[in-house]
Amino acid sequence: MPVPLASIQHGVDSIWGKYTELKAGKHILLNASSGKGKSTFTMLVIGLRADYEGLITFNGQDIKEFSPFDWTKIRQDKISVIYQDLQLFPSLSVAENLILKNDLTNLYSEKEMLQMLEKLEIEDKWNQKCGLLSMGQQQRVAIVRGLLQPFEWLIMDEPFSHLDIDNAKRCIEMIDSRCKELNAGFVLTTLGDNHGYQYDQELKL
Amino acid sequence: MLDKLLFKNQDKKQLIIAVIGAFMGITFLITSIHYIIKVNEFGKGTDVFGPNTIIVQKKVTNANSLNLSKTDFSAQELVKIKKEPFIVEVQPVISNNFDVSFETSDPLVPYFRTDVFIQTVDQRFLDVKTDQWHWSEGDEFVPMIMPREFLVMLNTFMSASGIPQISDDLAKQVKFKFKIWNGTGMERVNARIIGFTNEVSSLLVPASFMKFGNDKYSDGTDQKITQIIISGKESEFGLVEDLLNKRGLESKNAQMIVGRLKSVVGTLFVVVLGISIITVLASGLVLLQYMQLLMSKNAYEVRTLLRIGYSPKVIIRRFFVYFVKIFGIVSVLALVVFFIFKYFLDEMFASGGLYIDTKLTYISLISLLIAYILFSLASFNTAKREIFKQF
Repeated sequence: MPVPLASIQHGVDSIWGKYTELKAGKHILLNASSGKGKSTFTMLVIGLRADYEGLITFNGQDIKEFSPFDWTKIRQDKISVIYQDLQLFPSLSVAENLILKNDLTNLYSEKEMLQMLEKLEIEDKWNQKCGLLSMGQQQRVAIVRGLLQPFEWLIMDEPFSHLDIDNAKRCIEMIDSRCKELNAGFVLTTLGDNHGYQYDQELKL
Repeated sequence: MLDKLLFKNQDKKQLIIAVIGAFMGITFLITSIHYIIKVNEFGKGTDVFGPNTIIVQKKVTNANSLNLSKTDFSAQELVKIKKEPFIVEVQPVISNNFDVSFETSDPLVPYFRTDVFIQTVDQRFLDVKTDQWHWSEGDEFVPMIMPREFLVMLNTFMSASGIPQISDDLAKQVKFKFKIWNGTGMERVNARIIGFTNEVSSLLVPASFMKFGNDKYSDGTDQKITQIIISGKESEFGLVEDLLNKRGLESKNAQMIVGRLKSVVGTLFVVVLGISIITVLASGLVLLQYMQLLMSKNAYEVRTLLRIGYSPKVIIRRFFVYFVKIFGIVSVLALVVFFIFKYFLDEMFASGGLYIDTKLTYISLISLLIAYILFSLASFNTAKREIFKQF
């Protein structure tokens, strides 16, 4: 249970304060209204917050025992995150944002990255600064960046909130294809809409 | 890419101020350390006397000539001088109480003979090896220290005789003899030059030889102390000079000028060194503060890099290398300016008659290295602390 959420009344089916297991390769929908801790959940599982009571384990190990270097390794090839606030570098171009991430693993060529953008219909933004893009365009760049690494889990914190149905569909197809390719699971946090995404398990906060 | 993200958007005013400060501080640091060493070394090796050592006597006045006051030193006077805080050592200079003449005794040089005045000073005032400055009856020769002006005179004689003049080193190979005598007896003792001095006008011999001569050939009169040898503390030569004036003492002018010059120049460079150290520290701190400011301004970028999987080590290294490079460039520039300074200062000293050794001092370069290492350590720690704050 995150300390700031301890004073809030949670529903009977909320996972906070209960034993919950996220099984490898499963597609999980994390459904909750605003303020129930969707982003907090993301921050906890990626090691950005430690203000919680109870125990969180990853592959059987208490995550509080992880060193900054363990977290670096996890963020590089175990868990990829598409943050709600996107976490792009507005002063860098789309290309630079993607290359900066790809440099960690060198999984893709520039051509392949450009093709991914093309699938999401923003290939023409390659040299444009991220800070000058619309929120929907930025969200697509963040999604592509999230896929530029190997992962066992993809955590998506309201990734389609600024996308129209068609664009969200294109993004879902790309994410689905990549998850299948890696045999990876994902957690999709949402305010209620599953955006047509197929999932194995729904969790509530 | 990382450098563009982390270092492109900076307000470089503070960086430029810190860089200028560090550049000036390092330049003066190397320069002052170099010249403190060189000024202290000045005169060393060219004379057997230590750099802060002078031989003094009482000024001869009309009163002395009329026998109204004495030119010799009493034991109490020596004790009083020794008590002064800036005096390291005081010893009487013992003179011969017997007749002495000095002559060449070498087939390679023409015969030359003159009556001389010999004196002895304690070993600790001399920059000669103990085993060299020793004599006892039966030894092969008496070691002696010759006034350089005596060698000049000898060379003038050689030149007038149509014989090539002799260098310091060659003079040390020439065999000489002392003839010592009184009304009842006489003997000759072999002698060799082991060093030269500009500070005294008499031949210096070991105390044991002087005792031997005085015991065996003394004319019976009491030994008077008319000269004393004083060793003053480094950089406090001005106080020694005041003492001499106060007590009506005098020394060879050249000794006083060099001592005074070394004292003043040395003190000046110590002041510059102090200011330099403060400047280097202050500019180093400003650079580190700028580093912190830069990391605070880039807190979002650093945090995001960590979130997308960049290792703290990689980001720490970027900041560390960036600032160490800046300090490195500043150090190289300071070194270049130091060489330019050195060229002009050496010229200036030489034109003023102060021929300072122009070789580089390793300590000044080591001081630069120490400043560089300290800055590198401090910048690494600052980078580490600030990056882990964002984790």
